[in-house]
Order: sequence, then structure tokens, then C-alpha cells
Amino acid sequence: MSERDRRLLAFAALAVALPLALLAALSLGSVPLPAGGVVRSALARLGLGGPTPLPEMGEVILWSVRLPRVLIAALVGGGLAVVGAALQSLFRNPLADAGLLGVGPGAALGAVLAVNLGWAQQRFLAMPLAACGGALLALLLIYAIAHAGGRPTLSGLLLTGLAVGALAAAGTSVLLVAVEEFRVRTVLFWLAGGLEGRGYEHLALAAGFVLPGAVALLLLARPLDVLSLGEEEAAALSLPVHGVRILVFGLCALVAGPVTAVAGAVPFVGLVAPHALRALVGPLGRHLLPASFLAGAVLVVVADLAARSFGQYVELPLGSVTAFVGAPYFLLALRGQEGRG
Amino acid sequence: MLVVVAAVLLGLASFVVAAEAPRRVASLNLTADELLVEMLPPGRLVAVTRWADDADMSNVAGRVPASAVRLPRADLERLIALRPDLVVVSEYTDADFLRLLEKSGLRHHRMSGLDTLAGIRAAIVDLGSAVGAPEAAVRLTARFDAVLAELGRRLDGTKHPRVLYWADPHTAGVGTAIGSLIEAAGAANVARELGLRGIVPLAGEKAFAADPDVFLVTKGSGAATALLRHPLLSHTRAVREERVVEIPNHLLVALSDRAADAAWWLASRLHPARVPEATPPPKLP
Repeated sequence: MSERDRRLLAFAALAVALPLALLAALSLGSVPLPAGGVVRSALARLGLGGPTPLPEMGEVILWSVRLPRVLIAALVGGGLAVVGAALQSLFRNPLADAGLLGVGPGAALGAVLAVNLGWAQQRFLAMPLAACGGALLALLLIYAIAHAGGRPTLSGLLLTGLAVGALAAAGTSVLLVAVEEFRVRTVLFWLAGGLEGRGYEHLALAAGFVLPGAVALLLLARPLDVLSLGEEEAAALSLPVHGVRILVFGLCALVAGPVTAVAGAVPFVGLVAPHALRALVGPLGRHLLPASFLAGAVLVVVADLAARSFGQYVELPLGSVTAFVGAPYFLLALRGQEGRG
Repeated sequence: MLVVVAAVLLGLASFVVAAEAPRRVASLNLTADELLVEMLPPGRLVAVTRWADDADMSNVAGRVPASAVRLPRADLERLIALRPDLVVVSEYTDADFLRLLEKSGLRHHRMSGLDTLAGIRAAIVDLGSAVGAPEAAVRLTARFDAVLAELGRRLDGTKHPRVLYWADPHTAGVGTAIGSLIEAAGAANVARELGLRGIVPLAGEKAFAADPDVFLVTKGSGAATALLRHPLLSHTRAVREERVVEIPNHLLVALSDRAADAAWWLASRLHPARVPEATPPPKLP
């Protein structure tokens, strides 16, 4: 099979898998809804076909609870995967992902602060907004510190991110110790990742960053391809290496921060989706970035469905589900890379 | 004439209240489970938490109507399917979850202020009004008041032992139900002396230096054994002289009318000469 055919097949598979995953996630849950009923209810909302066959209770579950959650899952997965793909090109390392940015611990610090101060219980959206603020603050801090001594190298940027992330994680630990025991569960669940209790406002928050961020990264696909050749080669091709690097790094953080704010920590998605797809669609950004977005969306929609289906007493943390899938994949990929190296 | 008009208005008002009283009530916290089992006829309580049947945690285990669904977790989809008129949530329920509850067309009542006995009493009255069972709330608070009044009478003039709640390494300071429980049982809360507020960690060295008369720990948590093995706290007077009180979990976490019974139980351990019975006398209301 030619590379082009393989790529077309991969996109076709993703184009089928995403709607199927969305439909399954909208149909299954604590209260199962028939897939046909879900489709007809959607058509009825669009003014097509007859009235909805779902009872009023089913309509409420579908449109008020399940749809925003499933769409957020798709955005979270897509956002993390596209960030992973961009970072893997930027760092020229197929095992890079959003965890390298240092914004995740910043988001966690903001979220724990909101819980500790009681905002999360008193004010709507307080926790995701605080997490988003923490992520953006971490990003600013990384940028400011990395630039304090002039133009930073890629490794300088990376290490600054790790150091700021470690500082934020230390702050989170201090706050966690002081969190009241009744509030600990909220914090732990957020830290472990999850979409319980997320509505359209959370969707708007995530979409406001993820969609423009993903589109901007897609527009940078060509410069990313050039960068992946190496800094000297990119500079020889007249690419403003430093500017593009900072732009990509900033865009990745702007996507990853709000995603973490809405869903908590959802590891390995940004690593698995682009890494798996590179073999199918090739390394070029204009193919890899959109394919990663679709694959990440499918992965998290299915992982969230598993998270809310398998736990009887507690909903499984979404981050644990993606880690159960991603960690073995990561180890296999690592072994494969070492074998090649 | 005025009297007749007033009577008609009052009658109308009570009719309106009765008409608006929720017919199907769901609970998302154990305190509400306990109170609603006491307040509502079985058919009106449609859901409780899974903890309600757990004898270790619940003061109404074995008395929850079979018809009430046991919710293993705050599952919004199952909740919507139960079509409750009112969902009782806790102070710690996320604001984001509550917004989604409202958007799904479900009304909620939030219990709050459960960190003092006065707050618990007020919450019982509020819940009674919210679920349209004010008489039941009056009945519960009357007994609550009577138990605490009788306890106060018996403990009048007694010396207050200094008690430190210990859940390694956390303790309960001012503004906590456990702190209020200690004080209602005729003791001084050592965490208050230390200026602590809320459930907070306390360094072992500080706990040792505070030299409490009594350690209060949760029964079955292993905390008593841990104290005996603690490198520092095992040397405190309280541990050496075996003054470690293990309170059953269902009493420690009781934030319902049973908080008065919890205070009584603790007083019986701290002041056995004044309060010999572990439970309040049945002749109280």
C-alpha cells in the first residue's frame, strides 16, 4: 500500500471512528439511551424528521449532561494530541507531550487553591478558572525566567518549564496537606482527571482556547516540519527559528492549560495519538496534526465512557484510564526507540 | 372580623406550603440521609447515599426504606432518572455540579453550617422547611435541645479535661463539628488552645508539647494502636495512662440530630461519674 493510500485509509478510519465513538458515548451511561433515539432526538432538534422518541428524562440527560461532557472529552483529547504532535516536532523527539510544558502543575496549583479557599464550592466555574489562571501564570513565569538571560535554547526552555512545574507541584503539596478532609476528594478527583459535573460553560472555556490554538498550530505545520529538520537547517531555510519556537511553545501551553483546567490531568493522550499515527499518515504536520486531533478525540471520548461505565461506587478517574492504556504503549514505544537507537 | 381574615390567610399559607412541599426527595449526603429517614414517610424519600446502610458510618443503618434507591455516587444521570422534586446536597458539593443540577431542571437544598451544634440545629430546621416537614424538624430539635440541656445540667461545675482529637497527623480546631463535639461533652479542645482552625495537620512534636489529658481517636481506624507505637506520642501522659478514647465512626461523623447523642456518648467516657449511661435516657423527648 502506498503512503498516500495508507494516509487516506487512516483519515477515513478516523472519520468513521469519531462519530461512532460520540454516538456510543451519548448512548451509554448510568441510564442507557437507544442509539437510534439519540440520533432521532438530534434530528428533531435540527428540525429534521419527526418528534424525539426519547422521554423527557432522556432528553434532559442527553442534552444537559451527556452532550457537553462528550464534546469536552473530544476537545480535551484533540487538544492534547495536537499539542503532543506539535511538541514532538518541536523537540524532534517522538516521546514528547504536554507534560513537558510545566503548565499542568500550574493548573493543579490553581485548582487546589480554589478548593482550599472554598471558592470551588461557592462560585460556579471557580475551579476551572483558577486552574486556567494557574496554567497561564506558569506559562508567563516560564517565559520570563527563560528570557531573563537572553534568548533561551530549547533545552533551557524545557528545563525552565520543569523547574516551574516542580515549584508549582511543591505548592500544591503544601496546600493539599491543609485541605479539609471533606474537600480532599474533590481535589484528588481533579488531580486524577475527570469530566463529572462539566457542562456547556466548561465546554465554552475549553473550546475558546483549544479550537483557535489547534487551528493556529495547524497553520504552523509547515514551519514545524522545517524545524524538525534541525535548527541549523531551519535557519538556513530562512525560518525565524526562535520566534517560531516561542510561538509553538506558547500556543501549546495555551491549549494544554485550559484543557487541564477543565479535565484535570489526562496523561499519555498527547504521546500515544501522534506517535501511533506518525506511522500511518507520515511525519508532515499538515497530515499529522489534524489526524492526531481526531485520534486524540476518539481516545478520550472512549476513555471517558470507560471511566463512567466501569466504576460502581466511584467514577474511575479519566487520567487513570488513559494512563492504563498509555503507559504500556509508552513502554513499548520506548523499547522500540531504544532498539532502533 | 380581623381574626377571621388572619385565620383564612394562615390557612391559605399553610395550604400553599403543603402544596409546594417536594413529594420526591433525594439525598446526596449522609447527614441528610439520617435526617430525612426521621422526617419523611418512606415513599417520599427516593434516594439516599450508599453510606446510609453502613452501620459503621450511619446512625440510621437498617432503618432506611427499601424503596429508596441507594446512590453509590453523585451520579447526575441516575438522579435525573429518579425525577426528584428536591435534591439535598452538602456544603462541600461543587458549585459546578450544582449548576448542572439546576440546568437539568432539578431543585436543590444545600445543607450548611454543620460545624457547630447550633449550626446543626439550624440546618435541621432549614431542612424541615425545605422538605415540607417542619413538625418533624421541631420534634428532632426538641430532643436535640433536651439531650444537650440535660448534658449541660449534669456537667455543670465539672472540671474540663483537655482533649486532643488525633487522626495522624490531623486534628480538629475551631470551626469543626469535632471541636464542637469535644466542647459539648464537657472538655477543652486542645486544638483551640493551640489556635488551630479547621481540620488541619499538627506536628507530632507540638501534639506532644501540648500534653493533652485525653486523646480522642476514631474507633476501628487503627489510630489507637498507632498512638501506642508513635515514637513521640507514645510517651505522652494520656497514652501512658491509657486515656485514649475511641469514638465509633457513626458518632464522630454525626452531623444530624445524632450529634447530641455523640456529645452524650463522649461525655460518658470523659465524665463517667456524672454521665454513667452511654446513651441519653429514653424519657427525654
